[in-house]
Amino acid sequence: MIIAERKPISRILAMIEPYERVAVLGCRGCVAICSAGGDREVEIVSAALRLARKRAGRPLTVVEETLVRQCDPEYLTGLEELAKKVDAVVSLACGVGVNFIADRFPELRIYPGVDTSFYGANPALGEWEEKCRGCGDCILDFTGGLCPIARCAKNLLNGPCGGSQDGKCEIRPEVPCVWHQIYERLKARGELERMMKLFPAKDWRPAGHDGPRVRTREDLKVGN
Amino acid sequence: MSEMKITILCCHYTNQATAEDFAGIPAKIEVKRYPCSGKIEVADILRALEDDAEGVLVAGCEKSSCHNRSGSQRAEKRTAAAQKILEEIGMEPERVQMAFVPRLETGVLVEATKRLFETLLDLKSKEGTSS
Ligand code: SF4
Ligand code: SF4
Repeated sequence: MIIAERKPISRILAMIEPYERVAVLGCRGCVAICSAGGDREVEIVSAALRLARKRAGRPLTVVEETLVRQCDPEYLTGLEELAKKVDAVVSLACGVGVNFIADRFPELRIYPGVDTSFYGANPALGEWEEKCRGCGDCILDFTGGLCPIARCAKNLLNGPCGGSQDGKCEIRPEVPCVWHQIYERLKARGELERMMKLFPAKDWRPAGHDGPRVRTREDLKVGN
Repeated sequence: MSEMKITILCCHYTNQATAEDFAGIPAKIEVKRYPCSGKIEVADILRALEDDAEGVLVAGCEKSSCHNRSGSQRAEKRTAAAQKILEEIGMEPERVQMAFVPRLETGVLVEATKRLFETLLDLKSKEGTSS
């Protein structure tokens, strides 16, 4: 899922400084699951904003709402009405949700309440780890299922680098060197020859270096 | 000067303290009870401050004897999360405190409330000198 982190309240306060009425808009998708922008976080952020503004002598009215998803038009239908009630919206969805609403509601002032950071897994309660960077041309078949693009600090395709020490990464020694892990895994499987495949320079266009990516499926489209 | 308000958020098991028990503290004490201190949310703490409490005491069972095993440990972490938010908005984090209270020992709860009251008085006097 997409992992995000709440922005410091002081930063959100600065964004909405001129306004008297705002909506704090959560999303029940990824950001709710990673506990950054679901119903509970909407309550916390709203209470914190109100408290800060009350103490500053400029009370703020906050409309608290959470949508099923902010990245899907069918759940945005109520926004037109909401926009009439508030001066601005603080979205706790990932950047996808904020962009999508900004595209569709040009008049609406929408501000990000979270920092969107990575695609990650949830190995234990309260922990999230980056596992994939959406490069658009997956090579996990050569690397024993471990991604060197997301999990190697240098995104090396032909690792490890010379700084790999005792299975740890030289950039952050508490992090395992993923290329070391790939080596160990392939060795255990008797597939070390896969390491001998030299990756040529990667084409990063599918990763987004060619501009924003789109995906289409003609059979799902309505009309022509 | 209007009377200082302190809100205590606590679990049912922690205490049955009444207004009389707090009579020695010259503040308005509001007690909100929850089925378990683990049910006290960060937003509840912030809302209490929004409702004009100058300080909030979160009280749960002692860690080793929590009625719901780990409810009070959760409450402790939520208290820390609320303190962090207070820092972010320029308020003193010590306005929110956690107390672990032996079951039904009202005296310990009253003591913790007194300590919070003193902390708040201290903050008030500093406010007075800095402005
Ligand atoms: S808006 Fe972002 S957080 Fe919400 S469901 Fe869509 S992708 Fe996930
Ligand atoms: S190789 Fe690309 S698609 Fe595959 S896991 Fe890594 S970043 Fe994701």
